Amino acid sequence: MADLSVNLGGIRLRNPVVTASGTFGYGKDYLDLVPMERLGAITVKGVAPFASHGNPTPRTAEVFGGMLNAIGLQGPGIDKFLHHKDYMPFLRTVDTKVFVNIWGKKLEDYIEVASRLEAEPEGIAALEINISCPNIKEGGIAFGTDTKQAAAVVAAVRAATSLPLITKLSPNVTRIGDFAKAVVDAGSDMISLINTMPAMAIDIETRRPRIANVTGGLSGPALKPIAVRMVYEAAKAVKVPVIGMGGVSTPEDAVEFLLAGATAVGVGTAIFTDPGVLVRIVDGIDAYLERHGCKSVNEIIGAVRV
Amino acid sequence: MKHQVESQIIANRRIHGDYFQVDFNAPEIARAAQPGQFVHVRIPLLEHRVLRRPFSIYNVEPAAGTVSVIYKVVGEGTECLSQTPADTVASLLGPLGCGFTVPATADVQPVIVAGGYGCAATYLLARRSPRKPVCLFGARTEADLLLVKEFEALGCEVRIATNDGSRGHRGFVTALLEPFLKAAQPRPVAVAACGPNPMLKAVAKDLLLHGLDGEISLDHAMCCGVGACFACVIKRKSDNPDGWEYARTCIDGPVFPASQTVWD
Ligand SMILES: Cc1cc2nc3c(=O)[nH]c(=O)nc-3n(C[C@H](O)[C@H](O)[C@H](O)COP(=O)(O)OP(=O)(O)OC[C@H]3O[C@@H](n4cnc5c(N)ncnc54)[C@H](O)[C@@H]3O)c2cc1C
Ligand SMILES: Cc1cc2nc3c(=O)[nH]c(=O)nc-3n(C[C@H](O)[C@H](O)[C@H](O)COP(=O)(O)O)c2cc1C
Repeated sequence: MADLSVNLGGIRLRNPVVTASGTFGYGKDYLDLVPMERLGAITVKGVAPFASHGNPTPRTAEVFGGMLNAIGLQGPGIDKFLHHKDYMPFLRTVDTKVFVNIWGKKLEDYIEVASRLEAEPEGIAALEINISCPNIKEGGIAFGTDTKQAAAVVAAVRAATSLPLITKLSPNVTRIGDFAKAVVDAGSDMISLINTMPAMAIDIETRRPRIANVTGGLSGPALKPIAVRMVYEAAKAVKVPVIGMGGVSTPEDAVEFLLAGATAVGVGTAIFTDPGVLVRIVDGIDAYLERHGCKSVNEIIGAVRV
Repeated sequence: MKHQVESQIIANRRIHGDYFQVDFNAPEIARAAQPGQFVHVRIPLLEHRVLRRPFSIYNVEPAAGTVSVIYKVVGEGTECLSQTPADTVASLLGPLGCGFTVPATADVQPVIVAGGYGCAATYLLARRSPRKPVCLFGARTEADLLLVKEFEALGCEVRIATNDGSRGHRGFVTALLEPFLKAAQPRPVAVAACGPNPMLKAVAKDLLLHGLDGEISLDHAMCCGVGACFACVIKRKSDNPDGWEYARTCIDGPVFPASQTVWD
């Protein structure tokens, strides 16, 4: 058995496999199905200062190679997240690292939610700043596609908390390296990418969009080659650790991201297909390392031969 | 407790028109299943798709370890399922969701209102109710009726309404419900409904009109099936300032009190 542990900006993960935000709820829903003590970390669904309904339905559509979603960040808000038994109090009992994904409609929202988490940090390994949700009308999109605004959000959150910061980047930009640099310069300890890609599907019989929000984010296997390219470019642009994700559904996919330069790998949509995939990916990375005579997963991070 | 079971298909056959029955060997799910719960199925021949398909649990035999589902072929997934031979292994998540309340005593008269696969979704309720339910089944036409003999074999009285009058009452099934909602009933009724949305909406409306409540099982396209993704939400009454909230059909439902649903 190879050493699967990785050092993610000072956070020690037992292995590089983490759940992607929004696809694993707040952990509890999968308690019966996924052995949490086998995961590197779980990233919870986005938390804002306020409770929100999210978008009208239908919110998802299956498409070839993946799915579209415009959930619109339905969530309980920070008060309930911190104090209701199903959220943070539950997460503190789980034997894995917890990343709390945060979002807001304006800069002040990000500051507020980060300050509230800073005040009760027990059990939180890091905050992941979602500046790239494609499905909120007034929301993150402006932050995610303008380097100056992205840096402003990160700097504001940085000032509000001493918790390690991960900034989650949007794929909906031309030069991903510029965004990676901008958020790291603003104080982000690491980056994660990619979020979903803005997309659309139409029901040709009714001639209506298949999701109520008209457009939604594409996730799943179709995203993977784009994600691998962006992780590769981002990892070259910055020195901090990168969490790579987008369409990972097999151990081989995860290894590809590690080779491209990711220190950890996020798994999202594939959990819907099969909750058992998380442990299979952990075991499969181990098998790959054995097969290649590697003692540690660190030997393959960024080891693509170009 | 939810289980993920790599389950062998014991049998898979057409029962009627576009309707099929598939029996899975899934002992953990068979033991734990409650009426109105569902299984989330990874259809083996649908491997190029990322989502599972949800199906209500029709029947279970805990001793034999079998879980049966009745499904209608409506699209690619159900078409693939209908072509899956016995002995194939399929991944099942289950039992999932909050199901129907089984009446605690025979003092309550259960009344089932169902159409389409809703008849399958209410079969375990009928089987486990202390007093056998009266079943009101609605269909477009006689050929669309399902499971009438099976419910009768449980000792249920089955009354039928078809839109075209080809069998039973001509018209909507709600007309058959009316007498049960009148105060003249000898004993309290517990109404459980599953079927097409317009049917459920009409049942909910009639219940509330008579100052009664009941349980209805709602159907919405799902992704995770366990509460994590918030894809399958419906509007439910709430005491928040808006008066409503989005509830997940997969975990808060699929069975909801009729009085709590909000129809747009
Ligand atoms: C809790 C629950 C229990 C269910 N129980 C049963 C059951 O016992 N028997 C049964 O036959 N079916 C049941 N269904 C519906 C079943 O899940 C869908 O028919 C199935 O997912 C269709 O898959 P498909 O790939 O064949 O069709 P697709 O190609 O995905 O879709 C075909 C058509 O059906 C529509 N559709 C797909 N999923 C749904 C859905 N969930 N609700 C409404 N329309 C949908 C699509 O929009 C499309 O028009 C249940 C659904 C839920 C949510
Ligand atoms: C249903 C769904 C909900 C999501 N919600 C969030 C979210 O709340 N915050 C976020 O940063 N990303 C969210 N994402 C994006 C994922 O975390 C991930 O970046 C993306 O789906 C690509 O990975 P995948 O192909 O493995 O799913 C969501 C994705 C899906 C499919």
